[in-house]
Amino acid sequence: MNRSRPLWIALLLIWSLLPMLWQLITSFTSSDALVNADIPFQQRWTLAHYRELLSGDPPFWRYLFNSSLVGGLSTLLTLLLAVPAAYGIARMAPAFRRTIRTVVGAAALFPYVLLFLALLELARAFQMGNNLLAIALPYAGLALPLALLLLISAFEGLPNELDDAARLEGLGLLDRLRWVLMPLIAPATASTGILVFLFAWNEYPIALTWLSRDDLLTLPVAMARIAGSSIYAVPYGAYAAATVLGSLPLLALVLLCQRQIVAGLTNGAVKG
Amino acid sequence: MALVFGWPMLRYSWLSMHASSVLTGLEPVSNQGANWIRLLEDARFWQDAVQTLRFAALSVGLEIVLALAMALLLDQRWRGRGVVRALSLLPWALPTTMMALGWRWIFNTPYGPLEQMAQSAGLSPLNLLSNPDWTWLATVMADVWKTTPFITLLLLAGLQTIPDDLYSAFRLEGGKTRQALTAITLPLLTPYILIGILFRTAQAAGVFDLIQVLTGGGPAGSTESIAQYAYLNAMRFLDFGYSATVMLAGFVLLSLVIFTAAVLLQISGLLRPLKS
Repeated sequence: MNRSRPLWIALLLIWSLLPMLWQLITSFTSSDALVNADIPFQQRWTLAHYRELLSGDPPFWRYLFNSSLVGGLSTLLTLLLAVPAAYGIARMAPAFRRTIRTVVGAAALFPYVLLFLALLELARAFQMGNNLLAIALPYAGLALPLALLLLISAFEGLPNELDDAARLEGLGLLDRLRWVLMPLIAPATASTGILVFLFAWNEYPIALTWLSRDDLLTLPVAMARIAGSSIYAVPYGAYAAATVLGSLPLLALVLLCQRQIVAGLTNGAVKG
Repeated sequence: MALVFGWPMLRYSWLSMHASSVLTGLEPVSNQGANWIRLLEDARFWQDAVQTLRFAALSVGLEIVLALAMALLLDQRWRGRGVVRALSLLPWALPTTMMALGWRWIFNTPYGPLEQMAQSAGLSPLNLLSNPDWTWLATVMADVWKTTPFITLLLLAGLQTIPDDLYSAFRLEGGKTRQALTAITLPLLTPYILIGILFRTAQAAGVFDLIQVLTGGGPAGSTESIAQYAYLNAMRFLDFGYSATVMLAGFVLLSLVIFTAAVLLQISGLLRPLKS
């Protein structure tokens, strides 16, 4: 195993990265060269796809901005709801906790795509379509089960005595949360936040049905719309450029937060 | 949570008993279970159900095996492990729709790289996205690529809970490194593998984005999933009553599959480590 390890690592990297590298190469290849292998090597390259994207209407960075806004807002909302709730649940009697765990776990497993129709009706009833702030509501609701699972485990990991001691010292509930408990579960909160952000950033069916105005689309919907514009001639070059630009923020996030993501899934989802 | 998960189920139950389509002016009119009778006779629904299950079974199976290998590799200590871990996570972090189109380009006939390779190897065109018998395998491949890192993470978490002492003791007793995998690693990893299977089966059974963008359900409906059929009914045929019926039925089918799996595992005693 030891001697062949570099080989396995190489295989792993090729498998994980090759499809994305292909997108990268495609994004710099001129549209003619994509469909004609005979064009000589030096004449195949172009920046046209990127220029087209950035000067498009609406320009591509608009989608990045929309997705970041929705992602950030959903994450904030989810954490605001989940942290106090998880604290409360972690303080309950074990029998209660088990029941709640089961219900929350079932909700986390639920393929949420089946919910889009009823959610769309709600959006219509409350006039929440085409509103980037409003779409954070269903996202927070959908991300809540997973966030709860992760955070309940984090709170359960803390010794009860700590909380009790702080209470004896006369600290109120909010003070205890703020000064005693939050610093201790900060790592778990961070990793939960990252997972929620990824979910909101990547979500498709709800964004597809709630948003229709061109300048409000989130990244996944905008991308799929490029794809759907024609079945026969997808502008693959421009699309690949969009993929590259759209991946950069995630690449940065994953490289920076690898540890938190791993730790987050390690602590929570698994104990359920 | 009650609003986002509970309300839709109630609303679907109610809608599924009503006709609510263009024909009724989009107003719900009770039709005494006609939706459910239609569902039972709807060959397309059952075909989609089979296709969804087939997709879920094969991709989850492949993902578990692949993820196990990846986790074992990433659990060992070597230089640069952190970066490789992060890079191998990337496919999972990227939006499904985004890479689904990337795959569509890779599978493209005749300009995609796979097709080009087949050509230079002198094979006949593969037609990866237009062959009703094979295209679903292309969707499985894209799904495996995308979601294996998620299971790898879970298994990696599991591997870290196994104390190193166990391996040292095993070697002291004269066990071979190879045997340690089946004697220690796999048994202790079982709960994590099961959770991975559970999570992924549920997700794969609800597959939507990937297939929607990669194949649109085609060719000839051979990759269409239940979620997609429900989506089509609501958004294209504007038949909300029947769409709700399809979704409820899909949910019931999925619950049945998971429930049967859980019972089978219970009987075979595999779930026991979960309870401790």
